[in-house]
Amino acid sequence: MALIFIRTTIIFIVLLLIMRLMGKSQIGEMQPFEFVISLVIAELACIPMADTSIPIFYGIIAIVTIFILHQVVWLLQLWFQPVKKIVSGKPSVVINRDGIDEFQLKKNNLDVSDLVESMRVAGYFNLDDVYYGLYEANGSFSALEKEEKASTSLPLMLIDRGKPDKKNLVRCGFDRDKLENFLKEQGAKLKEVVAMTINGEGRVYFQKRGEKYKILNMEVRGKW
Amino acid sequence: MVKSICYTLAAILLCLGIFIYAEIFLNRQFEEFSNALDTLYTKVENRTATPEDGYAVRTMWNDKKSKLQILVPHNDISYVDYWLSECCGLLYNDEFELALGKVEVLKEIAKNLPQTYSIKVENIL
Repeated sequence: MALIFIRTTIIFIVLLLIMRLMGKSQIGEMQPFEFVISLVIAELACIPMADTSIPIFYGIIAIVTIFILHQVVWLLQLWFQPVKKIVSGKPSVVINRDGIDEFQLKKNNLDVSDLVESMRVAGYFNLDDVYYGLYEANGSFSALEKEEKASTSLPLMLIDRGKPDKKNLVRCGFDRDKLENFLKEQGAKLKEVVAMTINGEGRVYFQKRGEKYKILNMEVRGKW
Repeated sequence: MVKSICYTLAAILLCLGIFIYAEIFLNRQFEEFSNALDTLYTKVENRTATPEDGYAVRTMWNDKKSKLQILVPHNDISYVDYWLSECCGLLYNDEFELALGKVEVLKEIAKNLPQTYSIKVENIL
């Protein structure tokens, strides 16, 4: 019986560590330790139910262990602030007044397209619609929005961390030469671009690595 | 808050109580079973064992089995059932030499089985 307790505790700690290492992209609306519990508890309940060779007591002990661990983690978080940071993590500011913070994105195993998606879910369609954007410890996205939103046209991602989106480039009427000329004007190489978006009105969000983002205007083919 | 702490402490104490009880209970049950097997072994070795001796050990095991099934995986229990039935069958036919081997295996199982549930690094990993 005590073996089940110890083994469950080890699995819990390992899963928690893995979830913390995987960053916020894998969590979604839950604290990491809550996510670990949801992962484990379903399986713990199922195995003794389905496998009649295992005494049901094994499942009960494992589930009670999970309850104890949950309570212990919760109390430790309540009493000691550093424990909360270790177990649940802390919010990451991924957009600041200079634009996208690539380091924070990488730290949380996210890319610019994940950020754009989170922003769209939160109701922001342009990267410069917010002063600050952050991923909370539970993986949800929060933002301090600007008074006026940038445009009414949907922006398309042209370059995401140095990788051009060929489909979107064609849709906006960008060929290889036009893109290269644009990058030359901005004094940037393709791999140095953190993000570049363009909307139907030709409004460009351009951010070079290590620099503040720029808002530019270009002519685009067609409207969307 | 106080309620939560009380629930947590109660759960920890309950678990500790169960662990200690399970440890003592398992060791005691297998010790008794082991003693019965020792007696049977001596009788088989001296060729004085009767099928009734085998059945007596089996009855004793069946009595313990119903309680052990709460704590021991059923596969381990059926393993003992298998060897014990073979031993009884051989005693019925007076095949003492073959029965001796079966009792030897049962003695090893009775000695080692509780160890597989004790808190040891090799059991945890």
